[in-house]
Amino acid sequence: MLIANLFAGDGQPVNINELRDPRAIASAREPFEYLSLIDSGVLTHDEIDCLRPRIYEALACGAESGHGEDSDSAVRRSVHFVKLHDAYTLTPEGEPLLAGARGAEGAIFIVRDPRDIAQSLAKHRATTVDDAIAFMNDPQAAFSWQTGEQRAQFRQKLPTWSGHVSSWLNQRDVPIHLVRYEDLAADTAGRLKSALAFAGLAATDEAITRAVRFADFARLRQQEQENGFRETEHPWRPQTFFRRGEVGGWRDELTAEQVARIETDHEAMMRRLGYKLTTPRAPPRDRARGTAE
Amino acid sequence: MHSYYMAGLSISSEIALPGLLAQGDDGGPSEISIRRDKVDSALNSKRIVGPTWQMSGDQFLLRIPNVARFLVTGGSTVAFETENDTPVEDVAIFLVGTVLGILLHQRGHIALHASAVQVDGKAVLFCGRSRAGKSTMAAALSQRGYPLVTDNLCVVATAAGTPMALPDGGRLRLWAQAIESLDLGTRRSAPVRTHIEKYYVEPPSAACEALPLGAIYVLRETRPPLREGIDQPHATSAPLLLLRHIHLPLLIRKMNREAAHFKAAIEISNAVGIFHLTRNFEFVGMPAVISSLERHWREMGLAERAT
Repeated sequence: MLIANLFAGDGQPVNINELRDPRAIASAREPFEYLSLIDSGVLTHDEIDCLRPRIYEALACGAESGHGEDSDSAVRRSVHFVKLHDAYTLTPEGEPLLAGARGAEGAIFIVRDPRDIAQSLAKHRATTVDDAIAFMNDPQAAFSWQTGEQRAQFRQKLPTWSGHVSSWLNQRDVPIHLVRYEDLAADTAGRLKSALAFAGLAATDEAITRAVRFADFARLRQQEQENGFRETEHPWRPQTFFRRGEVGGWRDELTAEQVARIETDHEAMMRRLGYKLTTPRAPPRDRARGTAE
Repeated sequence: MHSYYMAGLSISSEIALPGLLAQGDDGGPSEISIRRDKVDSALNSKRIVGPTWQMSGDQFLLRIPNVARFLVTGGSTVAFETENDTPVEDVAIFLVGTVLGILLHQRGHIALHASAVQVDGKAVLFCGRSRAGKSTMAAALSQRGYPLVTDNLCVVATAAGTPMALPDGGRLRLWAQAIESLDLGTRRSAPVRTHIEKYYVEPPSAACEALPLGAIYVLRETRPPLREGIDQPHATSAPLLLLRHIHLPLLIRKMNREAAHFKAAIEISNAVGIFHLTRNFEFVGMPAVISSLERHWREMGLAERAT
């Protein structure tokens, strides 16, 4: 939303329902089908994964992705941003799913305290918080993994919260710029500016201040309350996408037991990212459990 | 040798193509022949290259890694070679989908990414991107008594100034969840591929002759700000809307067919109403969607029998 608003040309906040660039999310079917000519509905998840690098390479070389992006001034930029949720994984053929350096020049990787993710994920997936915590520690977890129906997006592997973060931090194919959501919330303009500098985009302080104002969480939530949000998981069910957006909301949302589970599951990565643990650490943890996968 | 008839074309194939309607071999030459043969992994001459394909003159090479390579030549012959011992049953769905689509472009046909049913002697088309519910709409309407015209790919040919939809005479292809939700289990046959939970489904009845177009609906999901219902986009945007729903739209430009498509899009939109049908994707809403379609057809004078 910050980047979309940075390019808002008419002095108005970007309409949250008009972020229509078909390339905007890497797991979208349209660019894949447009460029490959193949109906992704008759391919298995693994077969799709084997072809995804070819699509990202073609897009990075400037291939069109299908419907109408030429008429969208917001995408005629020197730097093209693509959102994605996928972990940094290899295809069954052993090449980077996202095509490595042939697919992108760099990655801005945004992490959030897993304790704040739990409630948000539960709501997004319409599950209990306990299920969300289990999902965040499941090495086989994925979005859109279903096989008996066609989902809007391709399968996105999310092999535990820690595994997802480490997959990105440990890869050496593309330079990475790590942003903690908590730091972004505390100093949005400063963090946005450094992320843009990483991407090789110069923006004036004025443009950044305006983007921060337009993408303010309360404003996004207000837009959703007034007009709904097309990216909501189940648009016909009464729910909202923009929830709280607060840092530390977990303190009044999670039980002590839930907090302890998350901290036990993800201790090493939370420490690596500077997320302070609250529960007393049990002496010598059963670390074998974490390496047995 | 297997013989089929699809979109006005006779096809002879070394392997069974369960998506198409079989016909007796009359001994005459077919317009399209499909055979197993050696297929090189690259074309020799000067070529245009895409992520899964290469094109040079009248040759088009498609490769689906670990499945098969297909060489489509001159709008009339298809040679394919499987990779990694893929069974031929796993290849047929690509032949009747992408490969026939490429061949139709080579032959200069206009094909929409659409399913269609017959309503009072006319073809009502449902266009949409992948997952928009084209097959689901056709399945639900065929169950309601409207014969299936085509699923997924609809060739439109103009005869004496009237655009006509050509039937594929074949079967629906539906996901397991759709089959269950629409209660079509007894009509289900083989899966389209070994490891895919999408199945061929026999429609209760199918049209076998070319039909003039009755209406075209572009399917959309009810996502804000779109609301449920049927509406008509401005007349000037109708041809562009159609162009977005050409089958394999990338090939319009790669094969320099812009002018033919633009002309066809204008002809079609002059001849028939083009509408948006916005619906939610939950199956429980399907009876209401069908009711609103039948109401719409009555208002247009399209269907006396749509009650």
